[in-house]
Amino acid sequence: MYMPDFDYHAPQSLAEACGLLAELGNKATVLAGGTDVLHKMKVGKLAPEHLVSLKNLDELRQIRHEAGRGIVMGALTSHNTIYTSKLLQERYLSLPMAAHTMASNQICNMGTVGGNIVNGVPSADLPPILIALGASIRLVSTKGERTMPLEDFFHGAAETVIAPGELLADITIPDQATTGSTYMKFGLRRSGALAVVGVAVSVRVAGGVLEDARIVLASAAPTVMRAKGAEDFLRGKKISDELLAEAGEKAAGESRPRDSIRGSAEYRRNLVGVLTKRALRKAIDEGHV
Amino acid sequence: MSDNHKVIGRSVPRIDGPDKVTGAAKYTGDLKFPNMLYGKILTSPYAHARIVSIDTSAAEALPGVKAVITHKDVPELKYGLSPARWDENIFCIDKVRFVGDKVAAVACVDEETCYKAMKLIKVEYEELPAVLDFRHAMDEGQPLVHEEYARNINTEIHQEFGDVEKALAKAHHVRTDVFVGQRTYQTPIEPHSSISMWEGDKLTIYASTQSPHYFQYYIAREFGMPMGDVRIIKPYLGGGFGGKLEPTGLEFAGAVLAKRTGRPVRTFYDRAEMFAHNRGRHAQYMEITTGVDKEGKILAAKANFIMDGGAYTSLGIASAYYAGALLPMTYEFDNYKFDMFRVYTNLPACGAQRGHGAPQPKYAFESHLDNVAADLGIDPMDIRLKNARRPDTVTPNDFQVNSCKMKECLERAREISGWDEKKKNLPHGRGIGVATGSFVTGAGYPIYRTDLPHAAAFIKVHEDGTAATLYTGSVDIGQGSDTILCQMAAEAMGYRYEQMKIVAADTEITPLDFGAYASRQTYMSGAAVKQAGEEVKKQLLEMAATMLSLPADDLDCAEGLIFSKSRPGKTVTFEEVARKHFVLKGPLLGRGAYTPPRLGGTFKGAAVGTSPAYSFGAQVGEVSIDKETGEITVVGIWDVHDCGKVINPRLLHGQVHGALYMGMGESVWEEVLFDDKGRIKNAELANYRLLTAMDMPPIQSEVVDSIEPTGPWGVKEIGEGSTNPTLGMFSNAIFDAMGVRVNSLPLTYEKVWRALKEKREQEEAAKA
Ligand SMILES: Cc1cc2nc3c(=O)[nH]c(=O)nc-3n(C[C@H](O)[C@H](O)[C@H](O)COP(=O)(O)OP(=O)(O)OC[C@H]3O[C@@H](n4cnc5c(N)ncnc54)[C@H](O)[C@@H]3O)c2cc1C
Repeated sequence: MYMPDFDYHAPQSLAEACGLLAELGNKATVLAGGTDVLHKMKVGKLAPEHLVSLKNLDELRQIRHEAGRGIVMGALTSHNTIYTSKLLQERYLSLPMAAHTMASNQICNMGTVGGNIVNGVPSADLPPILIALGASIRLVSTKGERTMPLEDFFHGAAETVIAPGELLADITIPDQATTGSTYMKFGLRRSGALAVVGVAVSVRVAGGVLEDARIVLASAAPTVMRAKGAEDFLRGKKISDELLAEAGEKAAGESRPRDSIRGSAEYRRNLVGVLTKRALRKAIDEGHV
Repeated sequence: MSDNHKVIGRSVPRIDGPDKVTGAAKYTGDLKFPNMLYGKILTSPYAHARIVSIDTSAAEALPGVKAVITHKDVPELKYGLSPARWDENIFCIDKVRFVGDKVAAVACVDEETCYKAMKLIKVEYEELPAVLDFRHAMDEGQPLVHEEYARNINTEIHQEFGDVEKALAKAHHVRTDVFVGQRTYQTPIEPHSSISMWEGDKLTIYASTQSPHYFQYYIAREFGMPMGDVRIIKPYLGGGFGGKLEPTGLEFAGAVLAKRTGRPVRTFYDRAEMFAHNRGRHAQYMEITTGVDKEGKILAAKANFIMDGGAYTSLGIASAYYAGALLPMTYEFDNYKFDMFRVYTNLPACGAQRGHGAPQPKYAFESHLDNVAADLGIDPMDIRLKNARRPDTVTPNDFQVNSCKMKECLERAREISGWDEKKKNLPHGRGIGVATGSFVTGAGYPIYRTDLPHAAAFIKVHEDGTAATLYTGSVDIGQGSDTILCQMAAEAMGYRYEQMKIVAADTEITPLDFGAYASRQTYMSGAAVKQAGEEVKKQLLEMAATMLSLPADDLDCAEGLIFSKSRPGKTVTFEEVARKHFVLKGPLLGRGAYTPPRLGGTFKGAAVGTSPAYSFGAQVGEVSIDKETGEITVVGIWDVHDCGKVINPRLLHGQVHGALYMGMGESVWEEVLFDDKGRIKNAELANYRLLTAMDMPPIQSEVVDSIEPTGPWGVKEIGEGSTNPTLGMFSNAIFDAMGVRVNSLPLTYEKVWRALKEKREQEEAAKA
């Protein structure tokens, strides 16, 4: 295992970074925490001529609440920063808890939310809960910026809509009327495990009725996916164990897992059902956890 | 237990503790020498292929490349660990036999250049059909991994003791079960590394090795050198668990590269290369038949096994014999039959992994025994107590057992785990299981044939008596042998542990010791150390007798003070006497050596499994199972061992915890997986799932009072044997929780879930 040769850049500002990326085009790869990029380079899956490190862009490392917008989180926010953020813990504990299921402490100090999103794999742990909370993202480049719902960012196995020269700047979780959310990850050990399946949900409950729900699945399809059939089925219904179990079955039916080193498609589909049922129950009973 | 030992029996701090916790400890890979080059080995991308040609010219032309070698540049002599089957070449000559087989090596000015150079070596291969499934390796028409081994049979064992068929015919109940064990890898935290250098005709190698002596022997043999010209030094070592017992391509290629270039060469494996070099646990097919009487007393047992050896023998012949040899150890029965085929496949070679050969057969036998108990409606604890081995008995395969507290271990485990209570009250989904294990305290015979002692030691008392240095060839690989051997030396000398120094595992300085394998050092190295310490003490007391004008047999020495047994208050310090000895008689030295007695029977393979003493242990584990996902939560584990006298309780329990950690991994989480081309799918630590600290359950580790009459101070082993019960214990706990038996390792969540699902479907079908 060794690193192929590359040139290294560490721009001082977002504008400079965009300029560099525009200039270098697809010869460059963005480097945030490097926990995905450096690994791919070492095992020979990636050999960029240039690495553009974002490490000096402290402006992308903040979490703040903006009135009228919601919580804005810079793309360079690390998993451990998310885990320890008071603001997130108070509003949406489900997000810090999702970050806490990830990797190991060392990786969580390096890995960033932006990298977790742009990397685009279906097993990433943060996109499901962010999508459940209705997050949107802001992409910037020398040509300007665009904002989109996070769920529209992914389109296929490790494929996203990001264009060469674009940077993910921040993620916004809008102020919302949901009453609960959670992320349940099924890993094969207690730490350092990738999701065999992960299920994030958010719910809006009033008077024993599930007014709205979002169900987002990790490692259950070539890309992170919403179980919209199950969501539609639940909307407006009176909450009961049978209802949640049935929603789980619907989500399992919609999922499109494949056989992998971590589990067979059949097993994973079963897990989607079980985790969906349990995550809904937890979010309904316990709020944002 | 009450005794008057001053230094042993205490949890003294590790002698290497400060170095390790401050990071000062240097492992082989940390060492640097002036002018040192870096070497890497190019390996085969194919499981089975003919080598058509190798062109190294482009690599040689690359700046920074100092040498490129292939089979043409090295001795052709085959090597290996088991002398009965030397079947490896330093580099493959006409064909490669697994993905990772060694083809060429480079030495370069830095690591990066090595990787670039390896890419420039052009090897033309002609791919051959490969044998990847060991269950079919012996079938008609399968390709041959080694032309000289028909039907890919590497080792064949057929042993029978007593009359099995007759006993089975008389049995009240006979049952057969089949189990399958998986391939696991030792995964020591420190990757293998070696640094080779020459001064004239003398070769020095710093190596991450469990046995400098075997390295020295095999390297000298391969290069036709006198052993005296080969020096092996073991720096700090980060674990081995059986995987670092034999020299690898690293040492052989490194030595040749160093000779070629006239410079020190460091060769090393990265994590993926470690998995490919392997020498881990064999995958195994295990059929077991047992006949019992009405009360569950075992009358006869029959084991019929096939083992996946991989492409080479390594220590695999011993693994194959061990698989059967240790089965009749924890339970007494007279009639026993063992049949085994160890077959070659085009996969990485397997060898000795902690518990050598025994853990998987133990899993099979312990699971099977629970099935038998369930058939008869007997409590699993009771069937084990009924059959438990007693002290001073001989196994059907002629192993003499002296101390043995199997029964006490079971009874204590029953008590501290709350077995009887839990057996009655645990709800569905919660379960408790028990299994036993035992292991050799050092092998009765060396790996290659020799009459050399197995261990030797000297002690040098410094001229002013303020320190003593123990010189031992034994190998601390992390288990703490340096610490306990210093405790033993101090105890035998009547000295203080805090004043001990140690020089270990350097073949030029320290006396012979076979090293860290077969759980042998506390007993065997300890016996040599004790003798050396007693020789020091004897000389010291004689000198003190003159100084105090008292007879030597009236004197004794403890914790650095020599005193009269008859006249309290008459004392002189160790230091004073030692100094006087040096002035009047010269250096104060002690020497010791240990050779085991002749052990075992005379049948073929009778030597494997012999040992001067055997450890025994029982483990109880409680699990909770998520019925919808199959997820297993380990609620608690209770381990009770009979390991003889305990020298250092903290290190002892550390071994139990470590063994449990590995055993748990093998039970549920770890498995080396291959694709259909024989490539490892998970040669990394994300998907080869070692457990983490977060996964470890509460563990209660206890010992029963026990003294082994043949051991120094009554010691036996703990390091390897404590792995043996774990796999079966998990299997039985899961069975108890769910009423389903998973018949293959690892007992993954998915397999548990599937077994439950199948059971449910069967029940539904029965209803319909
Ligand atoms: C041992 C280990 C364990 C892991 N465990 C988990 C786990 O449990 N769960 C999980 O989800 N992931 C896990 N990962 C994967 C990884 O750590 C995460 O995906 C992490 O969030 C990636 O962030 P990073 O900053 O390190 O990304 P990088 O490696 O720096 O980048 C990842 C990708 O995103 C791009 N990129 C990064 N930031 C931006 C940006 N702002 N704008 C545009 N493009 C950008 C890069 O070009 C690259 O393509 C693990 C990785 C390792 C090595």
